[in-house]
Amino acid sequence: MMRPYSEKENVQKKPYYSDRFWVAPQIPKEPVESDAIFASDLDVLKAKFEIKEAYIQRGQMVVYINPADNVDVLMCLRDELSYNFLSEHSAIDWLAKSGEFEIFYQMLSTCKHKRLRIKCFIKEKETLKSVIDVYKSANWAEREMYDMFGVIISGHPYMKRILMPDDWYDHPLRKTYPLQGDEAAQWYEIDKIFGKEYRDIIGPEERDGARIDVDDTYRFAHINHEVPFGAPRSLEKTVTEYQEEGGVFIVKKLKKEDAKILKERP
Amino acid sequence: MQKVNRLKPFFENLEFEREDNHMIVNFGPQHPSSHGQLRLILELDGEKVSKATPDVGYLHRGMEKMAENMIYNEFLPTTDRMDYIAASSNNYGFALAVEKLIGLEVPRRAKVIRMMLLEINRISSHLFWLATHALDVGAMTIFLYAFREREYTLDLIEDYCGARLTHSSVRIGGVPLDLPKGWIESLNKFINHLPIDIGDYEGLLDQNRIWKMRLEDVGVITPEQAQSWGCSGPMLRGSGIAWDIRKEEPYELYDEVEFDVPVSTTCDSYGRYKLHMEEMRQSIRILKQLIPMYYETSPEIMAHAPQYLSAPKEQIMTQNYALMQHFVLVTQGMRPPVGEVYVVTESPKGELGFYINSQGDPYPYRLKLRTPSFFHTGFLQELLVGEYLADVVAIIGNANIVFGEIDR
Amino acid sequence: MAQHKINYLQEAGLPVALTTVDKLVQWGRSNSVWPLTYGLACCAIEMMATGASRYDFDRFGTIFRASPRQADVIVIAGTLTKKHSPFMRRLYDQLAEPKWVISMGSCANTGGMFNTYATVQGADRIVPVDIYLPGCAPRPETLQYALMLLQKKIRTEKASKKLQPKRLV
Repeated sequence: MMRPYSEKENVQKKPYYSDRFWVAPQIPKEPVESDAIFASDLDVLKAKFEIKEAYIQRGQMVVYINPADNVDVLMCLRDELSYNFLSEHSAIDWLAKSGEFEIFYQMLSTCKHKRLRIKCFIKEKETLKSVIDVYKSANWAEREMYDMFGVIISGHPYMKRILMPDDWYDHPLRKTYPLQGDEAAQWYEIDKIFGKEYRDIIGPEERDGARIDVDDTYRFAHINHEVPFGAPRSLEKTVTEYQEEGGVFIVKKLKKEDAKILKERP
Repeated sequence: MQKVNRLKPFFENLEFEREDNHMIVNFGPQHPSSHGQLRLILELDGEKVSKATPDVGYLHRGMEKMAENMIYNEFLPTTDRMDYIAASSNNYGFALAVEKLIGLEVPRRAKVIRMMLLEINRISSHLFWLATHALDVGAMTIFLYAFREREYTLDLIEDYCGARLTHSSVRIGGVPLDLPKGWIESLNKFINHLPIDIGDYEGLLDQNRIWKMRLEDVGVITPEQAQSWGCSGPMLRGSGIAWDIRKEEPYELYDEVEFDVPVSTTCDSYGRYKLHMEEMRQSIRILKQLIPMYYETSPEIMAHAPQYLSAPKEQIMTQNYALMQHFVLVTQGMRPPVGEVYVVTESPKGELGFYINSQGDPYPYRLKLRTPSFFHTGFLQELLVGEYLADVVAIIGNANIVFGEIDR
Repeated sequence: MAQHKINYLQEAGLPVALTTVDKLVQWGRSNSVWPLTYGLACCAIEMMATGASRYDFDRFGTIFRASPRQADVIVIAGTLTKKHSPFMRRLYDQLAEPKWVISMGSCANTGGMFNTYATVQGADRIVPVDIYLPGCAPRPETLQYALMLLQKKIRTEKASKKLQPKRLV
């Protein structure tokens, strides 16, 4: 028997059925000239930098630039074109397709009421200049991007992992990283707290949420037939009162008939 | 002592032999007033903070990765757990982003119901903010009062969708249910009483000497800082920049209702407190206008788009084709067009954005969650410097950060 | 959920051996169960709501303490992530004996909906859990019921008995 081939570059979930003849529709890309403000902004950018592609999609302009220009373009946007916010900055993993990361800077201008996206492609090992001197909000966004994708940033004052622990292996949002983690991730807490030798005692993680074993009293309890941890199943009904019948010293036993039930909230 | 674990004392950031008189204090990740799992490494010069290093990620659950492995409808309940204090606003932000992606228009009644839910969530979130912030600063009474009113907002939401905390009350393409019987009456009762309660809070806090001393001129954010650090929501408006996405880039029916955008020019924590109170009043104002709008609408609550959305349950049960379509949409998921959108909404905390890159698959190729708290927490490293140690908690509480949102 | 049993008392044992006054001691313990203010995620909001005005946790003799040294029970309220797990274990170690653990919500029980690389699949891989609370998020009433069950459990225990791993629903 042969093992079925599975793609190694992209281990994310795939649709189990795809129509061969189905062509995905595209969100229309409008020319930049259709919007006066964006067109004038683009002219200013075009005069200074190399623009690879520019279009408007769903009301926001997308501009592709050279990765080396990123700091200057953002500086120009902030100082000359009054895009005063960098609201988001992250990456997209295209390593399987072209060995590149797509970096995007999502900008906002509160006086023009416009949002614009600056994009560039960088190779996997290429470094990207930090834009932290232009927008400080890039500080954590860049750290997150490094943590999640391994995009190397130069000129950042504190380039450490931000969301994952410092001793984490690999970058989780890459397409090569499985959703449930690699081996180092799956044993992370056991290795750290108890040590590797406890892996056998504690056992692997139960990742299948749908697995049910009726005789397993470690993981499951039968309602009204609860037994102690690990004891064999019993059909005897267990009492599920929360207080002992004989009562507890001083503590008043709450009876349902004594409780006052309000019809409406005061 | 127990010997089963091998954790070593945690001194990695502590230096005991320093030349200057600086002391390093580790704050969190478990601290009663860190609003979740914030860890701050504070370098103190006497009582003053000379360097602050926030450390987050203790609640990182891999939501963006989950989104890449889920069909769009499946991901909607996960958004509840982002900003768990106002879950509907996240549901709504995601639903709106997907609707923009596939180009869908939602029926008017669904819009009204969504706006009602959003505003109730805003009130609920602000009440929670007030309660915890006041508790951190030392006012236990406000905590009890604000939680009392917050329970009423949760009752309203529970009546609508059945959940207290994790609502999932919005669907892609509309809302799942019409308002239940008697809901408008209980909403009316609530919004008629809430202004009195807000008056009570203000009566307790506005001129309270301790409250004023703890908040005035504490955590001053200049407009330049707020812009550079990407602040949004009350943090931005508290610095005198009137930018409310509901007003400036209106979605749903926010261009049809009247409301003001409160702005504070004092730039300090006290100004932001007044701003939150005023925002609650504006939410009440919006809710009051929404009630007559609701009665004017026709009863459709889901958009009709068979390619992307299942038919109503009634049709699924009676019509064969609707059932087939529903089956395909549930098992395979909808396939939106190729392209990308970045859609923002004004969540109670600020600008909540969803960036979706779709490659025509049932799963998004990349989904980036732009959350306001993430940037506000990043700002703490500059905001806390120069403040007193005692004010750190007040500033963190005032920033209204939620960790489900920061770490995602 | 883990199947292992770690006998935490084997190393140390209880400092005092009580036999005849068991009942009195456990009566006292059960009616002053002090949880640690330990909020992890969404469930922490419900835990706060339980402590606040409508649900009023204090009437069970339950007062939230900010320090693990003063607390008896730790409510793992929310998703336990791998980055946080050493801190969780440390806090558990810092609780003074006798101590109990309530795992609140699906995330703490089994990892819940977050079946990802970053979450611990069940808090009982790290610490022994006494009561598992189902729900996402469990309502405040559920937490109160869990506390009542815990009180009952404490009253049936012997003060000097070895801590037996048990499970309840």
